Amino acid sequence: MSCNPAIGGLAKGQMVREIDALGGEMAINTDVTGIQFRLLNKSKGPAVQSPRAQCDKKAYQFRLKHTLELQPNLQVFQATVTGMIYSHGRVVGCRTSLDVDFIGRTVVITTGTFLRGLMHVGQSKNEGGRLGDFSAKTLSASLLEAGIELKRLKTGTPPRILGRSINFAGLQEQKGDIEPTLFAFHDTRDPGDMFHVESTGERRLGWKPGSEQVSCWLTHTTPASERIVRENLHKSAMYSGEIAGVGPRYCPSIEDKFVRFADKARHLLFLEPEGRNTNEYYINGLSTSLPFDVQVDLVHTIPGLEAAVILRPAYAVEYDFAIPTQMYPSLESRKAENLFLAGQINGTSGYEEAAAQGLVAGVNAVLKVRGEPPLVIQRHEAYIGVLIDDLVTKGTTEPYRMFTSRAEHRLLFNHGSSELRLYDHAKKHKLLSDNRLERVAKKANRITHWEIYLETSKSVGGSWAESIRCDKSTAALPAEFSAEPKEVREEVLYRVTYRGYLEREQRQIEKMKDVEKIRIPASLDFLGIPGLRRESAQKLHQLRPQNLGQASRISGVNPTDISILMVLLAARRNAPAR
Amino acid sequence: MSIPSDTIVALGTPFGTSAIAVVRASGPLAAELVRKIFGGSSQPRTIRRADYRDARGLVVDDVLFTYFAAPNSFTGEAMLEISCHGNPFIAQKILEDLVGRGCRPAEAGEFSKRAFLNGRLDLSQAEAVMDLIHARSEQALAAANQQLRGALGRQMNILISQLVKVLSHIEAYIDFPDEDLPPEDRLVVVRELEGLQASTSRLLATSHYGELLRAGIKTVILGEPNAGKSSLLNRLVGRERALVSSEPGTTRDYLEEYVIFGPYFFRFVDTAGLNPAPGPLEKRSMEMTLEQADNADIYLWVIDSTCPLPSLPLALAPRMTPANTIAVFNKIDLPSAKRGPLPQAFPDVSISALNGAGLEALQATVTKLAESFQVKIGEEIIAINTRHAHSLEQARVCLASAKDNLEQNDFSELVASNLRAALDAYGQIAGKIDNEQVLDKLFASFCIGK
Repeated sequence: MSCNPAIGGLAKGQMVREIDALGGEMAINTDVTGIQFRLLNKSKGPAVQSPRAQCDKKAYQFRLKHTLELQPNLQVFQATVTGMIYSHGRVVGCRTSLDVDFIGRTVVITTGTFLRGLMHVGQSKNEGGRLGDFSAKTLSASLLEAGIELKRLKTGTPPRILGRSINFAGLQEQKGDIEPTLFAFHDTRDPGDMFHVESTGERRLGWKPGSEQVSCWLTHTTPASERIVRENLHKSAMYSGEIAGVGPRYCPSIEDKFVRFADKARHLLFLEPEGRNTNEYYINGLSTSLPFDVQVDLVHTIPGLEAAVILRPAYAVEYDFAIPTQMYPSLESRKAENLFLAGQINGTSGYEEAAAQGLVAGVNAVLKVRGEPPLVIQRHEAYIGVLIDDLVTKGTTEPYRMFTSRAEHRLLFNHGSSELRLYDHAKKHKLLSDNRLERVAKKANRITHWEIYLETSKSVGGSWAESIRCDKSTAALPAEFSAEPKEVREEVLYRVTYRGYLEREQRQIEKMKDVEKIRIPASLDFLGIPGLRRESAQKLHQLRPQNLGQASRISGVNPTDISILMVLLAARRNAPAR
Repeated sequence: MSIPSDTIVALGTPFGTSAIAVVRASGPLAAELVRKIFGGSSQPRTIRRADYRDARGLVVDDVLFTYFAAPNSFTGEAMLEISCHGNPFIAQKILEDLVGRGCRPAEAGEFSKRAFLNGRLDLSQAEAVMDLIHARSEQALAAANQQLRGALGRQMNILISQLVKVLSHIEAYIDFPDEDLPPEDRLVVVRELEGLQASTSRLLATSHYGELLRAGIKTVILGEPNAGKSSLLNRLVGRERALVSSEPGTTRDYLEEYVIFGPYFFRFVDTAGLNPAPGPLEKRSMEMTLEQADNADIYLWVIDSTCPLPSLPLALAPRMTPANTIAVFNKIDLPSAKRGPLPQAFPDVSISALNGAGLEALQATVTKLAESFQVKIGEEIIAINTRHAHSLEQARVCLASAKDNLEQNDFSELVASNLRAALDAYGQIAGKIDNEQVLDKLFASFCIGK
């Protein structure tokens, strides 16, 4: 983990639960290696509530590595990939720095920040994607060879400091929730429920989820911090023009914060422990590319850190990414068949975004080998769908992070419904054990049963549902309902309370579905369509949408263009086979 | 190929005055519309005559209608064709009523498109349909662009940027709960929403042409007490409406009547007399008269030709010009009638409200004046105007819901949901508003980032 070992948070927490609903490992791994759990946004509404956990960095990494080692049919090998092996425009394998080649029908590459990674601390530059690790230098050239266009992005991390050098007295403590909200849907402590690796019975790293939580601490910058940053701006890698990559707006460096929001007297900082068996703390909010000596002075201006010892300096890292509109929604490259890309290489930031893409790319790499149609999750089904659709139809100019506000159907994406929303995909591609699929189906039935019951059965002065919507009280509901598990009750009440809003979402989705179903053949020549505006034709030609729904989301393509395409496609469909 | 499942409506004949105008609706609502508007069901492909009753039950026109069951219609869907009198205002009223009943104004060439998609047109026509969609929408686009370049566009841009600001504010608190944002002040948001609601309503009301279509050309009848204003209204309407007596000051309040002359739809307003020396009770009535007269489209200045020519009411004199005022010399049936010189070159007509003399000349003069209000426009513009009003109305409803959410202390995610719906409605007029715009505003306004 290059950044702080936090998993979840706004929209990301929902995504982790979606990954779990599709059989991914992230949720379980977080639950059992988490050292602090908080449910964010309790006051903003159930749809945007998101679980977040601080993990033990090393435990998270080692447990996941162990999981991979135990995964049947998976062979793990460690080496630096130096390039792809192409044959007739297709990828057939990859080369490594050890001169060991791997040959395969499909290849998934996930480069993180390592693709021509360059780290900056002030004026000092080091090749590498993370402090202490290498950089993948020749892979970029190999991708360019296939015609894949690359660009540069930038991100950064704050300094890590020694916990025993922090004076916690006077700092505000932030504790975890007493009742932790976990990510995995199934009970990770019951061996009977375990899928694949867990069932091998090997001893696993980790602990009882939510036990013995640790605290984070809040502090802030001071006028002295601002003065130091301003006086040394010219030494910052970012402000001296050393860095060409574009950084994320939602994760600005401390230099940016002082310069862009000069009226703000101070900036909040979080001291987050990196694990149980380390004394290292992460200063969340103090990302910088100032030189090391300035960092030391800067850290010492912060309350609680007057005598803090820096274990690892903050640094900015620049890396290559492949413009994501060059991919199909399956995450397969349009430029090189059989090559799938996931994570930072597609311009995203964040563990959750990467995990979501890794899962989809992995599933699709297998489906491609089997000759089956790819798994494509729609925008209205999950944040994962929004993520991939945004990437392949709009692209990105900064490291892309998921926000709840990116989803037009956010109200449908409450974290508790992830398993239900993605059940069909999980079942179709056998991503969950039969045991678990059956349980999801049963849960869905219970929820539907109660939804109908509460809407139709009379209580005092109307149906139960009406009285829930009116007084917003659930005190007098039938005893049988109260006996249902919490996740069933919560989902039922959510659907009943928000019924009007959810129906409005459904209506919009239905409208969109019609055009979403109309596929655009890969052979269609957009530039030769009569009546289509030149600007639209060029955009469509460049981005090659696969269906009319995608086409309609491309900026600059208007409803008239969609109408014309619809007629043309109908004409082609009805044309007698030649 | 799947077909959109909503019901579309449009004028099937060119805009303008003709003997008959045809309004067409296509889609699943057609049968229900027959039942609700005309009462009872209808034999498909049979022409029937009936009163068209709007959603409030008021008769709009005496029409002929034909119901077509799917797939035996032009579009291949269930269709309703209504032939009304060839007056654009009647057709517009019917269109608006149909939209109010759940139909959607059709997009350019959409009837042909549906016909094609349902296999009602043959393959060789596909290109023709595409050309048609293109041509019609070019025309529509040109018209829309012209409007969007003008006052409407400027207004929409202001509304959108205000709403994006409000929404980005709400979103910031949703998406960045752990950030050190200034405390959320819902009252500020409520005030901003009130401002947006008011601006949206104003825009709805001041889109003048739309207003003329919806509410008629406002024609205020004014003059001194006992000049015969109410008698004139009765003549124009053709029945006893205003209480008429020879006692001055009989009309203390004001009265409204809707009348159609030729292609135009007039809203005649009869006002209390403008007494130069009013009593206390009259004073209030006169204030109301001036209020009514202030935003009139046309003034009928009724003059008792048996009396000396009165002066123009002071408060209105600056508003009254030869382009909007007709001097009506009444009581020409009386022997002492004479016509003094007018203070301005108003068009003038001599009438007798008592026996109806000169009324046709008056109608002709009023119609001529109304003509000058009409901008030369085709079918598409009327549709765009209906669409604009439809979208603005949607936005207004959503803004009101968002404000309710705030006042009832509902979750922010619901406020945001309604604001997004309002933004989508604005976007139907001014073009799609991407989520990215909200994020741009958010990052520009708040210091985000731990």
